[in-house]
Amino acid sequence: MRMTGKNKNKIREGSMLVDIILYIIAGIILLITLYPMYYVLIMSISDPKEVTAMRVTLYPKGIYLGTYKLIANDVKMWRSYANTFFYVICVTALNCLTAVLGAYPLTNKSLIGRKWVTRYILIPMYFNGGLIPTFLLMNKLGLYNNRLSIIVPAAVSIWYIILVRTYFLSLPSSLRESAFIDGASHFSILFKIYVPLAKPILAVVAIYSAVGIWNSYFEAMIYLPNEDLHPLQMYLMRVLIQQTVNLKSLVKDEAELYISLMLSNIQLKYAMIIFTTLPIIFTYPYFQKYFIKGAMLGSLKE
Amino acid sequence: MDKVFQNIKGKQKMRNIKENIELYLIMLPVLIHIFIFLYIPMYGIVIGFQNYLPGSPFIAFDGSVEWVGLRHIIYFVKSIYFTRILGNTVFLSLQLLVFGFWVPITFSILLNELKNGFFKKIVQTGSYLPHFISTVVVAGMVISFISTDGILNKLIVFLGGEKKDFLVDPKYFPSIYTMTNIWKTFGWSTILYLSHIAAINPNLYEAAKIDGANRFHRMWYVTLPSLLPSIDMLFIFAVGGLLNSNSQLILLIYNPALYKKADVIGTFLYRSGIAGGQFSYGTAVGLFMTIINFTLLYSANAITRKRSENALW
Repeated sequence: MRMTGKNKNKIREGSMLVDIILYIIAGIILLITLYPMYYVLIMSISDPKEVTAMRVTLYPKGIYLGTYKLIANDVKMWRSYANTFFYVICVTALNCLTAVLGAYPLTNKSLIGRKWVTRYILIPMYFNGGLIPTFLLMNKLGLYNNRLSIIVPAAVSIWYIILVRTYFLSLPSSLRESAFIDGASHFSILFKIYVPLAKPILAVVAIYSAVGIWNSYFEAMIYLPNEDLHPLQMYLMRVLIQQTVNLKSLVKDEAELYISLMLSNIQLKYAMIIFTTLPIIFTYPYFQKYFIKGAMLGSLKE
Repeated sequence: MDKVFQNIKGKQKMRNIKENIELYLIMLPVLIHIFIFLYIPMYGIVIGFQNYLPGSPFIAFDGSVEWVGLRHIIYFVKSIYFTRILGNTVFLSLQLLVFGFWVPITFSILLNELKNGFFKKIVQTGSYLPHFISTVVVAGMVISFISTDGILNKLIVFLGGEKKDFLVDPKYFPSIYTMTNIWKTFGWSTILYLSHIAAINPNLYEAAKIDGANRFHRMWYVTLPSLLPSIDMLFIFAVGGLLNSNSQLILLIYNPALYKKADVIGTFLYRSGIAGGQFSYGTAVGLFMTIINFTLLYSANAITRKRSENALW
């Protein structure tokens, strides 16, 4: 992480013993934090007999990848995967677009009523109608049981607008003014000058938005009764929590039936967790720096 | 001369109006979206004072709307749910505050003491992992870990204890909730603290060293005080958020056997309002809780303002 990489406030001297103790504590904390995920992983790849007998605790016992082979044939899972991709792409693109559109005029000093527009945008961050009026509104708009119920309400995020606005304000205003004097319209200034310069902050917005939609389930639970429209998290909820999906029914091959007798539900569920969380686990070490940037910008007092 | 000047002024004005029209057009989609999805629901709060029937408009003047005033709120306050839900919500938040608030502070001070390098990076990145795991997966893991044949009971038996039915006995729920939340958030919460530590002037450490401060003195008298402003700010947020429990997590973990300890405002609103279809009642309860919440945040801020300069407003 860059910001601590530059930190020179290290206390370098002092006894070695203290250092060793601190390192051991940090190591233990790390192990405790990672263990739950690790446990799920080793359970999912161990021999079904060992898993059923609950003998797997520290390392995988006998490797068995059949669970993953079964899960890879799960049509419902792939459909929900595809749905999630669709939702993530739409919402992320819209979030970037609306953040830019909402932020640019607010940075322009010649905007009449700038103070009032800013207030209009900020007030809903503190007050909102709450769950039920929003739910009724969505019904009235015909968005219930409609893919758009995930996409349209999420299209605008006030927080992203503020984030991008703060970034735009840090750009020199002479940039805009000279282009404006040359006769460029605000629309072309925004998309030809500002947006290309805003790539770093748009990366932050895009990643926040994508991870947020990938991980959310609540909106889908409320608005989408149709299982064909469900995102991945809703499918996971049916598998892991409501237990209305029996993964064992995936076994179609007669030859594999005997395995399914031994294969425990828990192993299939854990394999499902790993399979659906892998995209995040593998990518988050790379995109965490954007997240950290967002967290820092968001905590600034305006 | 005057005429020319006026002419220029007039042109400027024209240009300014044109410019503003363009700027507002750029914002228009966003302004309309915010109006529809954030302002109209605010106005929808009025149904909390009605007997709203699904499908009818929020307000009508033909007498089809039955206004009931505060009846829903009074009914809620008199029901057993009011004390139970308010009690559970506050209890869960307080427990999380007491056991969880100091964890990221201590952890960031600990991280600051590690030398920059591969190990520190691994510890940091590892501590962020739970933040990125979805609530559904976390809930699924918790349920399987605490089930009667889960790993937690295995550990208890291994240590010589007796199996416990965590999913049926409500008395364990607060601890499960607290531990899950600390696990999910402690690493991520260090980011703000670490950024403040990084901003400390190294001269302070040098000066303290010359004055004979040892390592722990410096942690206590230099690092920790530099965190006080953010500690204050986050503390106000925590107190103001006493009525905001992680209901999206509870909704997935709890079951009717645990309602006595696990039912909170968010889950109650979902159950009665959305799942149960009591729209007016749910809205009234939600509004009432929002008002209590706002009072809390305001008081916490007022107290902080008296004590220090780190108040939010």
